[in-house]
Amino acid sequence: MSCKETTRLLDAYVDGELDLAAGLHLEEHLQSCAHCGASLARLKALRTSLRRGVELETAPDGLRSRLRARFSAPARGPGLSRGWGLALAAPGIAALALALWLGFAVPEARVVYHITSSATASTALRNLANHLQAAPKVKIVVVAHNDGVDFLLRGARDASGEAFEPAVRRFLERGVEFRVCNNTLERRGINASRVIPAAALVPSGIAEIGRLQSQEGYSYMRL
Amino acid sequence: MLDELERARFERLVLPHMDAAFSLARWLTRDAAQAQDAVQEAYLRAFRFFGTFRGEDARPWILGVVRNACYRLLERERAEPAAQFDEQAHGEEAVAPGTVVRFPLDPEAAAIARAERELVQRYLRALPPEYREALVLRELHGCSYREIAQIADIPLGTVMSRLARGRRLLQRALAAGLEERGTGT
Repeated sequence: MSCKETTRLLDAYVDGELDLAAGLHLEEHLQSCAHCGASLARLKALRTSLRRGVELETAPDGLRSRLRARFSAPARGPGLSRGWGLALAAPGIAALALALWLGFAVPEARVVYHITSSATASTALRNLANHLQAAPKVKIVVVAHNDGVDFLLRGARDASGEAFEPAVRRFLERGVEFRVCNNTLERRGINASRVIPAAALVPSGIAEIGRLQSQEGYSYMRL
Repeated sequence: MLDELERARFERLVLPHMDAAFSLARWLTRDAAQAQDAVQEAYLRAFRFFGTFRGEDARPWILGVVRNACYRLLERERAEPAAQFDEQAHGEEAVAPGTVVRFPLDPEAAAIARAERELVQRYLRALPPEYREALVLRELHGCSYREIAQIADIPLGTVMSRLARGRRLLQRALAAGLEERGTGT
């Protein structure tokens, strides 16, 4: 086998896709040709790097649960089966199917509230309460950043002198999560122990919001 | 309307390939949010046309549907570019698509391994889609040439030449990249 032919078949050989006879001819050539032997070594090294560089990823929870809700056996809500019938009634119209799909996703919509100022914290909590009332299944994460972290510090009170902490705890019980930007704390010289236990710390509020949006399908709301 | 048996068959044969589907979509769209959209759309479509699927191994079939959904989505995107393209977020993703790096004990070796891994991901992302999809299907999904041919809807010979060409391109880019970082040999 010539070098040219070997080069052409080398990938198939490494991939185990060459038939036996061709494989034997190729091996014969490799033993006598240092040049092609080196090509083989480089190719194998590349495969190792590639396999280290690309790994199977897990589908995000949101996607997983949407697909499961859609295609798994367990009992479905009336809205879902009705919608499914509609989707089937409109074959070929992917856009409509997708719109219906998005409609279904509403019960498990995810929203991140971004609070950047202590002045708006009261308004934000009021909106939060309204939001939960209108859409009880919505998943809300509050990310506090800059002056917005103040209402999550111990002993914080609103303009009328009422403590924030009990309200925050009530939201927590309803599944709302509060996350405080640690960069903000460091920049403002606030000791992390002053943050109420109901709130969690994240390294960067901005990065957290980006992550929630890009990886967990949250929509963004600034308050 | 699909009957209950068909739905159960879909659940058993297609649903388990969600991770493979998402991983492929991630590499083809190069964006986590778009990958989710593409997989969603692909599963809807797959369910609708599930009646045409025969056999037990649905993985190549659903990967083909996902692939097409990705390209349709990118096509739509080109037609009407998204208003808020975030260079920063997309650029960041080039390096770290949320995977865990295991650290060997030797910190220097760890740094080299990490640098190499980042480069592999970056250059693979930068490859033209026809080479990228062949390489991802081969190395990440472990697909055979025949499966890749089915998924990408190309002849077997084209699979072979695309893999070979894709690897040469990647090899060249990596060699240059590692040298630049001073971690080459």
